[in-house]
Amino acid sequence: MESLPDALVHYILSKINNAKDLAICNCVSQRWKEAMPYLNRLFFPRNVFDNLSHGKTPDEIVSQIISSTINLEELVVYCPFSSIGLASWLCCAGHSLKHLELRMDSIVSYQASTETPSKLELLRSACNLESLKLWGVVMVQSPRWDIFHKLTNLEIVGASLRDHTLSEALRACPNLIQLVLLGCEGLMYVSVENPYLEQCKLDFFGAGDCFLTLKSSKLKSLEVQGCGVIRLPETQHLKSLSISNNAGQISMVELGKLVALEKLSMRGVQWSWDAISGMLQMASEVKHLYMKVEFTGDTGNLQPFPEIDFVDFFNSHPKLETLEIHGAMFAALCQKNSLKNVDSKFSIPSLEKVVITVRSPLNAEQKMSTLESLLNYTRSLKKMTIKILQMKSSHSSADDFFEYVCRLRFMNRNIVCIE
Amino acid sequence: MSSSTEPQPEKKIHLRSSDGESFEIGEVVALESVTIKHMIEDGCADTIIPLPNVTAKILSKVIEYCSRHVAVAEGGVALGERVVDDELKAFDKEFVNVDQHTLFELILAANYLNIKNLLDLTCQTVADSIKDKSVEEVRKIFNIENDYTEEEEEEIRKEYAWAFK
Repeated sequence: MESLPDALVHYILSKINNAKDLAICNCVSQRWKEAMPYLNRLFFPRNVFDNLSHGKTPDEIVSQIISSTINLEELVVYCPFSSIGLASWLCCAGHSLKHLELRMDSIVSYQASTETPSKLELLRSACNLESLKLWGVVMVQSPRWDIFHKLTNLEIVGASLRDHTLSEALRACPNLIQLVLLGCEGLMYVSVENPYLEQCKLDFFGAGDCFLTLKSSKLKSLEVQGCGVIRLPETQHLKSLSISNNAGQISMVELGKLVALEKLSMRGVQWSWDAISGMLQMASEVKHLYMKVEFTGDTGNLQPFPEIDFVDFFNSHPKLETLEIHGAMFAALCQKNSLKNVDSKFSIPSLEKVVITVRSPLNAEQKMSTLESLLNYTRSLKKMTIKILQMKSSHSSADDFFEYVCRLRFMNRNIVCIE
Repeated sequence: MSSSTEPQPEKKIHLRSSDGESFEIGEVVALESVTIKHMIEDGCADTIIPLPNVTAKILSKVIEYCSRHVAVAEGGVALGERVVDDELKAFDKEFVNVDQHTLFELILAANYLNIKNLLDLTCQTVADSIKDKSVEEVRKIFNIENDYTEEEEEEIRKEYAWAFK
């Protein structure tokens, strides 16, 4: 390494970003110390200052390291810090920073309200940010951000937000392409209109009754958990959609036509039938469908799914390649008249993989008929997996069911497998 | 550029290593090196390009790297980015699994030939090997001469005391 020219030594060392390793490098030799100004990325792990006995504070040490760099582009701080520290860091490197990730820990230490200006407000000095990721944020007052013109990626994990503060934060990012909000509580009505947004992942804590309106017309991928009402008027480019609600009911999903949708995932304890049938109707081009919805009906009144016509379902989703359904949906396809329209002209053209999770052994004969229809009328089926979950084995019909399923597997060795 | 629908025979570029060995590579692969690209553009590439700073051993490895990256990039367009990424990551990992001396030769070659992704890969590999080491270990691994005086060393270790266990 000694034979390398200075520029290459500097280039190599600029690729080290862990503060502890950098400190070691500074001590290795004078020549290595001279590489420090060329650092582009800095990372301060959670426990990096645990050994600090006396002398400077963590804020000051971080300041010192940052101020020795010329063009810091990325700063990740997981260790605890104060807003005074943050202010001095951003004074130094605010203009050059492209990526900033901070563990705010505002929820744990309740310093958020007492420090002025707040850490969130200080972020406005990083005016050229392209990516911002914040952990443990309390944003119950306006962050008072200026416009982050270059910000394309915003991620907030573990936060206490309010409708109006989130709105303001999103308004400050007009060019946002990716938005991730995970483990966020305190929201009731969320409205997202960022015009260039393409990927969005939302996970809201609470009673599962949040209202979401997303009007970004360029949206390609959306994952949302924890909302009860979802409005997506502009869905022309949506390729992947996942809606789930662990806590509450999904009562309404309003969508534009899902002309580009290839992947659809629907999960939750209870969805209204309007929401389910509406979604299935709109998703006519879907290739990969995952459904794990346990009940339908109105709030508080859990109902099984109504009968679904087998032929109608597959004819309305002709591009379906993989299908994974759980109990309730499968049961709906196994009702008395589900198979009534099956005739020799019927065909399921593209289906290659099916995974069915069965919980109840009831109605075994009908279930077998449906499974057999799937096997007989698909042209390209490669694999069918039948997952049997928590079935009460004391019920006599459970034995019948197992017998049927094993026979099915025996007759279709290459395709059917049981888990 | 050309409107012909027939596949053109690929132009070959001839390189000669510092120890006299000749290498013939396709132009597409050669263009991975910005240095060679400029030579081609300046019209110096019609005869053999001598590379006095690169030995045959290193040059053949560099060519292997560039060929693979070009091939995966071309073939991967249909498969999509993720497949391309995974394949290249596996190749890259194996590629830099060499002794220290070879690694530094590759860095110098990538720098001279101006091949950015190879330079980044090799430099990052060296940087990664410095993780979680002590000052003494680093000096030993890389044969670094300690150019601090005793006082300077003491001072700097005090300054960064928080980094020492």
